[in-house]
This record gives sequence, structure tokens and C-alpha cells, in this order.
Amino acid sequence: MFRIFWEYTSAFFEGFVFIYGVTLLSIYALLAILSFINIRKFVKKDSYVDYKVITSSPLAPGISVIAPAYNEGVTIINNVRSLLTLDYPNYEVIIINDGSTDDTLAQLVEEFSLVKVDFAYNVKIVSEPVRGVYASTNPAYAKLLIVDKVNGKSKADASNAGINAASFPYFLCTDVDCILHEQTLSRLVKPIMEEESKRVIATGATLRLANSCEIDKSVITKVRAPRQLLPRFQEMEYIRAFVLGKMGWSYMNAVPNVSGGLGLFDKEIVVRAGGYDPLAFGEDMELLLRMCRYMEVNKLPYAIRYIPVTLCWTEGPTTLKVFMRQTTRWGRGLVQLMYIHRMLFMNPRYKRIGLIVFPYNFFFEMLAPIIEFVGIIYYILLICFGLVNWPYAIILLIFVYTYSVMITTLAVLWDQLTFKYYKDWKDIIRICMMVFVELILYHPLIVIFALRGYLYFVTGRKHTWGNMQRRGFSQKQPAAATS
Amino acid sequence: MFSYLRDLLYQSYVEFGYLPLFIEIALTFIIIAITSTISAYLVIITKRYRGYVKEKRLAHISPIVEAMITEQVLLNEDLEKNVPVENIEFDSNAISKPMYKRAWVRQILIDILIQYRKNFGGEVGFLLRKLYLDMNLQKDSFAKLKSFKWERKIKALSELTQLDIPISDATILPLTNSKNPSLRVAARNAYIQLSKNEPFKFFDIATEPLLPWDQLDMFRIITSTKEIAIPSFSRWVSYSNNKSVISFCLKLIAHYDQQTAIPAVMDLLSNRDHYFRADAINCLGKLSAEEAEGRLVKMYSNQPLNCQIEILKALGRIASGRHLDFLRHEFIYSTNFDARMNAARSIIKHNTEKSRTIVEELIKTVTSENQLILKHCNNPLIKY
Repeated sequence: MFRIFWEYTSAFFEGFVFIYGVTLLSIYALLAILSFINIRKFVKKDSYVDYKVITSSPLAPGISVIAPAYNEGVTIINNVRSLLTLDYPNYEVIIINDGSTDDTLAQLVEEFSLVKVDFAYNVKIVSEPVRGVYASTNPAYAKLLIVDKVNGKSKADASNAGINAASFPYFLCTDVDCILHEQTLSRLVKPIMEEESKRVIATGATLRLANSCEIDKSVITKVRAPRQLLPRFQEMEYIRAFVLGKMGWSYMNAVPNVSGGLGLFDKEIVVRAGGYDPLAFGEDMELLLRMCRYMEVNKLPYAIRYIPVTLCWTEGPTTLKVFMRQTTRWGRGLVQLMYIHRMLFMNPRYKRIGLIVFPYNFFFEMLAPIIEFVGIIYYILLICFGLVNWPYAIILLIFVYTYSVMITTLAVLWDQLTFKYYKDWKDIIRICMMVFVELILYHPLIVIFALRGYLYFVTGRKHTWGNMQRRGFSQKQPAAATS
Repeated sequence: MFSYLRDLLYQSYVEFGYLPLFIEIALTFIIIAITSTISAYLVIITKRYRGYVKEKRLAHISPIVEAMITEQVLLNEDLEKNVPVENIEFDSNAISKPMYKRAWVRQILIDILIQYRKNFGGEVGFLLRKLYLDMNLQKDSFAKLKSFKWERKIKALSELTQLDIPISDATILPLTNSKNPSLRVAARNAYIQLSKNEPFKFFDIATEPLLPWDQLDMFRIITSTKEIAIPSFSRWVSYSNNKSVISFCLKLIAHYDQQTAIPAVMDLLSNRDHYFRADAINCLGKLSAEEAEGRLVKMYSNQPLNCQIEILKALGRIASGRHLDFLRHEFIYSTNFDARMNAARSIIKHNTEKSRTIVEELIKTVTSENQLILKHCNNPLIKY
């Protein structure tokens, strides 16, 4: 009995898993090629675009910037000021105070001269009740609106309240602690305005970590690779995921996800799709999937676009504890998403989403940590039983290692082809060094935390909404202050 | 360990044909991966080094070029003596130095001339243009215009437009219908700026769409270039087959307040495309077309929501006061929140004795939700 089981297991790992691995690596190679084509096309086109044209145009479509805040008292004032300085002619900033228990709301009221107003709040998407809406008596802050609501225990619920209060046909969803590039709105709205035949329902751009960047009054003045190891690994992962992954998917019009940190959405489609799901752990991906479903069911041609320009800097977790919580939540979100939308799987009715996006995420995002983990156990068993063909095993390990180094190196190269964010050579070397140790130091953590998320989903463990524990960005000191 | 790995790989190379298939595949991938990784690093190093060299070159050449332009143009003595620009001669030794024969230096020269021309108008601007022509730099721009690469064509169009060098219709008009959207918009913008007689001629032959993003730049050029003769855009509203051209013309009609276009715009109210109808209604509202009010109210009930909202907005913009009862009715009885909101806004926008009385009466009689809508619309602190 055991012998038969062992034979099947061996056949599975030596046959199926090898094919699985080669397929996965081939997909990465394909994504690398497609992203390269897409990035080159973008860079060529973009060099002739003057984004200042839109900043003074009466034809610019209106955009609502929606940023939920929960206990962000440390950084809220600087962050809101940063959002108010975006270079765009027709936008509003909606901050949703999601029942903060600190002085977030009080600080906002005082700093921006806010008063409670009679606001006709239309509930298009269900969210926790709104306690009040505040507008500024100072005309300088006329764009600002604060929605104070009962805590909904999720960013999704707060975002839904923001969507309900939004006046414009498009909304930008971001985190209040993110630092946005001043041209964020102009650059994200461009793919929507230049699409000929399809309705662009969402656009996204690259995110980077602000942990070691030089920041002056909530504006990035010098981009630097994070000094600390964990954020630097994440920066490298972001570059790979956004520049190589999403640009490749965007070329196929099969983007699986627009990040919750930065995404511009078509409000009408979001409302019709039902808005964010407050119970979803990966609410951004879940919403996008529902929007795609809506478009497919109604046979409306649509597109989701990504641009390879970094428009958003966020603070990455610096401690293993916070990082574990974040990655576990993502893992849990992914498996929950696969479960909720299982009817999409290989369903030709949903075209790209059913035949490409969903199966890819199922096989190569969700199953990958499981197969890796079981594979390692199998390997250990082989070693214990003395069944390992060491020369072949080493060749396979070198294969996986060199290939993963290649893919990440290409992502760094593509990133360099787009914009030279790092002015200093040392920053590039720092990122490149991570490429060589990622597989040994960082990747195992991702696998373990993702499996932890799967386990929590299966066991139905209650999720606690931990705060990111923002440290706030260190601001550049004025010369006079330091002297 | 490394010697073990080296021996292992060497042995695999020698015995490659006898190895299992999956090991052969793995070895092939290893070679591809190592080669690609090394190539990627070489490209990163080369690219950054090239960028560094380019910056150095620019830092070296720019001051020389700028000094030459300053001496020949900005400090030109003939210019001070009011000698006509066409009669001013440049110092041939200064402008025909061997360095100005190198292609990359000439490109820097063109770029700097364009920068200066953006900053200097009048006689100095004309003299900068003359320097460009006397140094035969237009040949470089026209050579780029003949290139097969669309990005070089765009560069050429930009240079020729900035320096006001005419391009023949035979060359530029086909480009205004190019399949490449970037080239198409660059050619259209150049045509508007360079064509002195009929800057909108390409509207007649436009088969490719005028995308909303392209409209931004074109709108800016049309509304900010002083020499352009503005035609009556109703011509294209009535006869063009290109929907995006019509949509753009509606925006221009509203911007230039072309009252004579109202009948042509009203003809669009019976168009089958409801997005089109909404654009036309929006235009009529911005034109304050009182003659359209009756028709808008009459057609209201059988329109989709986007057109209904545009009608309500238009009635607020026109604000003749003849349809306040209609707006009041819609505010009270519409089941759609956005329609009620826009009806309320339009009533308030009238800002007459009668409209204020209606608002006061409504505040006392309507539901609490509608009261909130009225308060919202009346509150100057709420901007949108």
C-alpha cells in the first residue's frame, strides 16, 4: 500500500510538478517579453506627451480622490495637504474617517477649518452609517470633504462610503498615508481618454516604497532604495510585480488586479458591480473581478490598463510581525477570492477573465505555495530515504535559482528602461543584490505566510484588523533648523 | 563547492545527449538564464553610462551653443539699430564652425533654439527662426519628417511647428489620418498651427477618431493661438460623418458661444446615439439657447438618464424661468436621486424671486431627503 502511494507520489513530483514548474517559468518568460513590448511602446509614446496640457484644460474629466483613514493622527495633516496639491484642474479629495479612536478627525477639523454640512449622501453602495460630512470654510480647501462614519472594520467599507459621497465619474482609490506623484491624476486618466473602442474601467500604476526616500512636505525629493532588508525585498517584489507582471498582463488586456494603494476606477461600473466587498480580504482584486464579470455578462467591451510609471510611494512594513500580518491577509484574500468566484474557473462565458486570469491565479498564484511546500517535504523524505540523485537535484536547484534571478533582473532592467528613479548607483546595486538572495531569505517567508493565510481561511479563524502602525515619513529638515 | 558545481555542469555538458529529457531542459534553461542575466546587467551598465556621457556632452556643448545664440541673436547690434530681420546677416564664422556639422550638436542646437523661441517673441523670435534657416537646420527637420519611424516624424513636426516653418498640405494632410494615434494628433496640431488659411481643413477628411485626450491639446492650441481664424463649427456638426469631430465641434461652439450654430446643434437632438444627444443638450445649455428649452422639456420623458440629467442642467444654465414648474415637478416626483439633485441645482441657479419662493415652499413641504438635497445645493461650502 505504502509502496503504491510512494510510487504515485514520486511520479507526481517527477512528472507533473516539473511540467508545472516549466509552464510557470514559461509564463514568466512570456510576461517578460510582453511587458518589454508594452513598456517600450509606452516610453516612446510618452516622450511626446505634455501632461501640463490637461492641468489647465476645461475638458479634463472630474475625479474624486478617495482616501480612507483609520487612526492616522500621526501623519494625517501632511498626507491631506499632499493630496490637495495634485496637479489636476477638476478634482475633489474625500477623506473617510473610519471611526478613528484617536484625534484624526479633531486634527482635520482644526487644521482645515472644517464645519459639519448638510450633505445629501446617497447610498448607492451599502456601508456603515455616516455620522457627518465636513467641508472647509476656507476657500483654499474647497476641494476637501471629510466623511465621518462608524468604523466598518475594513478599508472596503470606508471606500464604499467615499464612493457614495463622490461627485465625479471617476475616482482614485488610495491610502491616506501614500505619497502621490503630482501628475498622478493626469497620467492615470490618460489611458481612459485615449482608448478608441473599449471602455477603460480601471487604470493603475507602479507603487514603490518610501521608507528611505527623501521627503519634503509630503513630496518625494529623492528616490532611494530602502536601507532596511525587509522593505528592500518588498521594493524588488513591487518592481517585478508591477513593471514586469502587470505590464505584461496589461498588454493582453488581462490585468488581474489594480492595487488598493493606487487605482483609478470608472465609478458607474464600480457602483453597478456593487462596490467593494467589506468581507473580502483582497477587496481590490475582488472588486476588479466583479467589474470584469459585469462587463462580460453585459457584453460590453472593456479594458484595464497599467502604466509603468511610479506614481505612488507607500510605507512598507519594517518588522516581520507586520509583514507577516500583511502577507497572511493577502494569502487569505486570494483563496477566499478563488472560492467565492469559483464559477468563473475555465468558464468560456467570461472570456479572458474565466480562461486566463482566473486559471492563472488559481494554478500559479494560489497553488504555488502549496506545491512548493509539499515539494520541500517530499525532498526531505527523499533525502531521508537516500533516494536523491544528487547531481540531478543540484542541476534542478540551479535551474530554479538562475531562472528566478533572471526574471527579477529583467524586471529591474525594464524598470531602468522606463525611468531612472535611482540616481545613485548604490541604490541599483542594493536592489540587484536582493535578486540573488531573495530565493533563500525572502521567498520562504512569502510561502509560509501565504500558507498561514490559507489555513486561516480553511479554519475560519476570526480576522483582527490590525493597524499598519505607521511611523510617518521623516521630513527633510530645513537648513536653518539644523544649523 | 564551486569546483564541484563546475565539474557537475561540465560533465553534464559532455554527456548532454545521454541525460533524461527534464535534465536537458533544465540545463538549457540554465544557460538561457545565465546569459540573459549577464546581458541584462550589461545593458543596465551601458545604458546608465550612455546617459552619463550624454549629460556630460550636453553640459559641455550647451554653453557654447547658448553663447553663440546670445551673441548672434539676443545681442545682435543690427537688431538694436532696427534693421529689418530679413536683412540681418549672421557672422558666418560663428555659425559655420565644424562642430555645427555634427548631427548630435545640430540636434542640441535645434532644441535650444526652440527653447529660446518659446521665451522670446517679436523681432528676436523672428531672428531665432532666421538663424535656424541660415544654419540649414530645417533640412535636418525635413529629413526626420521623411523617416519611417513615427517618433522621428513627430519630432520633426514639433520642430517645424515651433519654428513656424510651413509644411506642404501634400505632406502633412495624409499624416492627419495616420493609423498611429500619436503621429495623427501631432500632425493635426501642427496643421492647425501652420495652416494660415484653412486650419481646420483636416476635419473634412478626418476618418480616424479625435480621441478625448487628443482634444485636450487641440482645444488648447485653438483657444490660445491668436492668428487662427475661427470658423463656424456648425458646418462640421451638420455635415461631418466623424462622430468625434462633431463632439469636439460642440465643445468649440460652446466655448466660442457661436449662437448661429444653435439650429445645427438642435438637429442633433433627434440623433439615435444618446451620448451624442447628451453632448448636444450640454452645448445648448452652455449657449443659453432659450429656443431649445421647449423641445428639451418635451423630449425629457423618453430620454435615458444621462440625457435627462443634461436637460435638467441645461434648463438651469438657460434659466429663462419658463420651466421652473417642470423643474419643481421633477424635483418632487423623480425617483432618481441624481435627477432630483440636478433639478434642485437648476431651480437654485435661476436665482430669481420666483425661484427663491419655490425653494422656500419646497423646504417646508418635501420629504426630509429632498430637504437635505435642497440644503446641500444651497450650501456654498459644498463645491461639487
